[in-house]
Amino acid sequence: MKKFWKNANFALKTGIIITAIFLIIGFVVYYIPHDDPFIFNTYKPKLAASMEHPLGTTSMGQDVKWLLIEAIHNSLLIGLIVATIGTVVGVFIGLLSGFAGGTLDRVLMVVTDTFVVIPSLPILILMTSLMKGKSTVILIALVLAMFAWAWPSRQIRSMALTLKERDFIQTAKFSGESTVQIVVTEILPFALTWSLSNFMNATLNAIASESSLAVLGLSPANLISLGNMIQWARDRNAIFNRQWLWIGSPIVATIVLFIGLFLLITGYNDYLTMKRGR
Amino acid sequence: MKFRTYFLKRLLTWALTIWIGVTFIFFIPRMFPSDPVESMIGQISARSGSMDPQQMESLRRSLRVQFGLEGSLMEQYTTFLWKGLLHFDFGPSLMSYPEPAGDIISRYLPYTVGLSMIATLLAWIIGNIIGLLAGFRKNKKSSKILEGIAICIYPIPYFIVALVLQIFFAYILGWFPLTTTINNFQGTGVFVKTLLKSSILPALSLLLIGTGWWIISMKSLAASTAEEDYVLYARYRGLSEGVIGRKYVLKNSILTQVTALAMSLGGVFGGSIMTEIIFGYPGVGTLIQKAILQSDYNMILGCITISIVAIATATLIVDLIYPFIDPRIRYS
Amino acid sequence: MKKRIVSVLLASVLATSLVACGGTAAPEAGGDAGAGAATEQTEAPADTGSSESASSEMTEVGTPRNETLIVETQTPTDVPGQFNSYMQGTQMGFGIHQLMSAMMWEMDTVKGEQFGEVAEGMPESNEDFTEHTVKIRQGIKWSDGEDLTAKDVAFTFNMIMNTPGIAQCDYYNSVFESVEATDDYTVLIKTKESFPRLALRMGVTIWGNDLRIVPEHIYSQVDDPSTFKDENPVVAGPYTVKSYDPLGKWILYERREDWQNTTVGVVTGKQCPAKYVWFRYLGDDTTRQMAMIQNEVDILCEVTPEILQTMMSSNDKISAWYDEFPYATSDDPCSKGLAFSQGQGAPYDNADFRWAIALAMNFDEISMNIFDGAGRSSPFGILCNTSAFQDLYAKPMQSWFEDFELDLGDGTTCKPWDGEYKNRMAEQLGITGDDAYLEDMFGMGCIKYDPEAAEKLLIKAGLEKKDDGWYFNGEPFVLNLTYLADTEAQAGRGVQAAYDQLTKFGFNCNISSESSATWDSNGGTGNYYVAGYWPTGFITKDIYSQINGWDADLIVPLGEIGSGQGSRWNNKEATDIIHKLSKVSPDSQEAYDLAVDFIKVQYEEMPFISFHSGVKFVPTNATYWGNYPNANNAYNGPWWWWSCFKYILVNFTPQ
Repeated sequence: MKKFWKNANFALKTGIIITAIFLIIGFVVYYIPHDDPFIFNTYKPKLAASMEHPLGTTSMGQDVKWLLIEAIHNSLLIGLIVATIGTVVGVFIGLLSGFAGGTLDRVLMVVTDTFVVIPSLPILILMTSLMKGKSTVILIALVLAMFAWAWPSRQIRSMALTLKERDFIQTAKFSGESTVQIVVTEILPFALTWSLSNFMNATLNAIASESSLAVLGLSPANLISLGNMIQWARDRNAIFNRQWLWIGSPIVATIVLFIGLFLLITGYNDYLTMKRGR
Repeated sequence: MKFRTYFLKRLLTWALTIWIGVTFIFFIPRMFPSDPVESMIGQISARSGSMDPQQMESLRRSLRVQFGLEGSLMEQYTTFLWKGLLHFDFGPSLMSYPEPAGDIISRYLPYTVGLSMIATLLAWIIGNIIGLLAGFRKNKKSSKILEGIAICIYPIPYFIVALVLQIFFAYILGWFPLTTTINNFQGTGVFVKTLLKSSILPALSLLLIGTGWWIISMKSLAASTAEEDYVLYARYRGLSEGVIGRKYVLKNSILTQVTALAMSLGGVFGGSIMTEIIFGYPGVGTLIQKAILQSDYNMILGCITISIVAIATATLIVDLIYPFIDPRIRYS
Repeated sequence: MKKRIVSVLLASVLATSLVACGGTAAPEAGGDAGAGAATEQTEAPADTGSSESASSEMTEVGTPRNETLIVETQTPTDVPGQFNSYMQGTQMGFGIHQLMSAMMWEMDTVKGEQFGEVAEGMPESNEDFTEHTVKIRQGIKWSDGEDLTAKDVAFTFNMIMNTPGIAQCDYYNSVFESVEATDDYTVLIKTKESFPRLALRMGVTIWGNDLRIVPEHIYSQVDDPSTFKDENPVVAGPYTVKSYDPLGKWILYERREDWQNTTVGVVTGKQCPAKYVWFRYLGDDTTRQMAMIQNEVDILCEVTPEILQTMMSSNDKISAWYDEFPYATSDDPCSKGLAFSQGQGAPYDNADFRWAIALAMNFDEISMNIFDGAGRSSPFGILCNTSAFQDLYAKPMQSWFEDFELDLGDGTTCKPWDGEYKNRMAEQLGITGDDAYLEDMFGMGCIKYDPEAAEKLLIKAGLEKKDDGWYFNGEPFVLNLTYLADTEAQAGRGVQAAYDQLTKFGFNCNISSESSATWDSNGGTGNYYVAGYWPTGFITKDIYSQINGWDADLIVPLGEIGSGQGSRWNNKEATDIIHKLSKVSPDSQEAYDLAVDFIKVQYEEMPFISFHSGVKFVPTNATYWGNYPNANNAYNGPWWWWSCFKYILVNFTPQ
């Protein structure tokens, strides 16, 4: 562990630290007992930053700090669920279809293509208005995941098609390895780099899609998410009333979260390259 | 011979994809809890304060007949497949009855195509160039800076980018109008001028966001290709960096990006919803949103069908020209 | 460096492509607007070229800014170029009924009385209200020079009755026996049954009215008046259409040269000051406020107090109804609050339950959360506490409200009236003034915050309190609240504040927002539990048109949409009163007494918990135009979206 840290490059270190901070905020700090930040009038409204409220309070008398912590928790949860489902399903189907070929490939690709060609935001808007008040964090995540797997699977498939013709795969084939074996031992590591950046992207996409829904007023009204937080602040004209902490903190959090994830991934790739001695 | 079978098979997939997709979106809005006639009555009575009971009853009856919502679901479905898919006739729009939904869409389409298509293409080109440089020459300071900018802009939610541009360029600097106003009645010169003035900010915001993703994805593709053995051999052979970049790295990583472009080109109809809303730009994105909020089935179907056909066709074309770009893939 | 090249490249490519796409779009646009006046403008580019130097003086539609009144419209139209009010989808609020329509009777919103616009005075009816004689004003001409006469009025009625495609067709046939012009300026209307409210039904009360007189010499030439777009409308109002956006975002109106012959000219003898009125759609809240700060719009329909505060501090020409707190007028006739879907059965159909909800909420906090304390409290259920209501009904009934007692079910009682609200708010917000002043600002009183009484009432209504919350019929009880997303801030924030209060009280609550289509149809089908609908109103002394929807005979099963209120309040006493009222002349003492009885019944039953009367923040910008109505100069209300806007507009002055 110590050695790993010593060999790690700057990007990787920064990435790990930022991501870890967010994970700690979202899944550790979140569980410290606190007042429900959604409740109005808990504190005086529109307070500036202070010791008690490092990020001030909202126009409705909520503590921005706890609001932000819960928002990070929920948004991360949505993002992680969507990205996990999307990436795992996508990579699996993409590889399967790319290597199996034949009828299976065609059937899988028709289904995949269907999901790729259906524009997701309009359908998301439709689905959420359909579910109305019944939507929860998990449900929102599942709906978003519906559209998160098709793209990576198509990408991975075309990658697989290119790889399939490569020499080292052909060699493996001739030496009698089964398709599954080839996929797992030869292809998967290759697809992993791409999958990782897809994972990060899917996490972010999910968070962004949720914010878009929130801006259209269609995210569950009592779900504290980064998108809803921005929307609530916008609703009370926080930008023009210069309540920067309120409107700014969820935006900055989104951006920093992404940069953290991104550095983590590029840094890790570089680290692997270096370790391989190149 | 081989190409013909492949072509036919691929064409079949294309048709199947469109059919499944269209069926999917035909049924979803019909599971919708709201009935367009009822919501229209609701809106009318909400607007005029109160309405006489008898008046409302008779209003409902005439609306039902006018909207052609009589008939079973299956009948509506077959009519839709026949007219909609084959003739792009989606029936009258419910929110602007009795104008055909198709006519309204075609009125908005040029604006969206003009704006989003160009923004997407430009974003793709710029993004890939920067991404390639960043991935291939990842130790250069300039590529690191460019990449850094991309990473910082990309994660900002669409509407925030649009909002910041709007506040900065239209409100504080006053260079561009706050909302799209197209002056159509004083001649082509004025029309083009107002259109251009109104389009620059939405285009810029689409471009900024679009470029980020292309940079990032191209960078990761290029970086992993650059580690490949054949690139190393090329280096040993003493080929110049420029040649390596173009001949090996670009050629091998652009494939994935071409597929992605095909899809995102088709996706411009849905993708620009947020930007169009913020800038009040009269495109298909705003149309879709309005149609969904007002349960205008025919309009939703029309917009999404066009979008589905566009993306499916774009990917079809890419698949067909794939082997010309990458000779290692055979038609199979 | 690279960036600059990129941006130059981008700009040029964008420019060429947009020109290309513009080239195809332009002829279409020209064709759409192919109306005489509009196409003549093709030579204007030379004109605009010269005016460019003074571009700050010109609007984006090429009119001089100081001759143009710019008014916001809240939604873009889906049917640009359609001006026939009898065709489905025409968006009247886009200036069409504000500037062009000819109404039989218009509303004086200050007095709460109607006056004749096309009609000369009010109708004269026979004893049993089956024959009505209406005199028509002389001197009004259509914009093509023809006289507007009784024949046009009779034609309009008969056109509606003979055209099944017009939505009101069946209704008119069920009411009217015959409508005919007895001479050029007299119309005789015969109704099938006693119809004491002819002017109230066929004239404007709130917002506008479906009956708009059309020119016979145009509409009689048309095959089907319900599908005739009427792109070049011939109108009796003071403005005609000069041009419009083929994409539906704006309409430019031009003043009629012969203003003496327009409706407003004949009624007031005054000419409208603005040569052009430009109705435009501005988009979301951010854009709207920036546009007004930059003087790109003179009148906005409605904003939130946060926006108003920003705008007033950024541009001192911007003002609202009051110069200081509360800024907003509280006289919009729709109060907002919580509606119960009583077709859902117990406990929603139980008055004890509804009263318990009302008592469980701290109204002071709700007020602060909605609009920072601004707004007149309106605790009178479905009747909105406008200042007219407060004077006409609430004040005379004050002692009844004060003495009203609720039986809490355990032998104790509770008086729910709280007359101290205005004083508490005044103190909290630092407002000083006499009782009358505070009463007008905050209302006479509100419903008391009494959680103990609320608990007792809930238990009386059959709920059970356990350690982990409330139970009903052995099941955990969850209260579902819904509101309309994005628009109607007052109603939405009211529900959010109620969610907050009820959660604190100990209920397990859920809250969600709905898009307008879902919202509208759920409102009718009753597919909700507690929601921020506003089935409320008060405009004229006669309350019949506000309450006739609460007739229990109109209730249909849950899931269907009836013609009555979606709340499905089933009360025999109230229904009887409505039936009696329908037969009584609106001006009689009997009508007033019945109204008082109705108010008492529905206060006891609390079918709707009302928070405030309609509170509207209506900003105006005095850079180019002045003399807008406001609290100190209340010659009319700030109802820009109502058809009476033309009578407000005529008083504006150029700056």
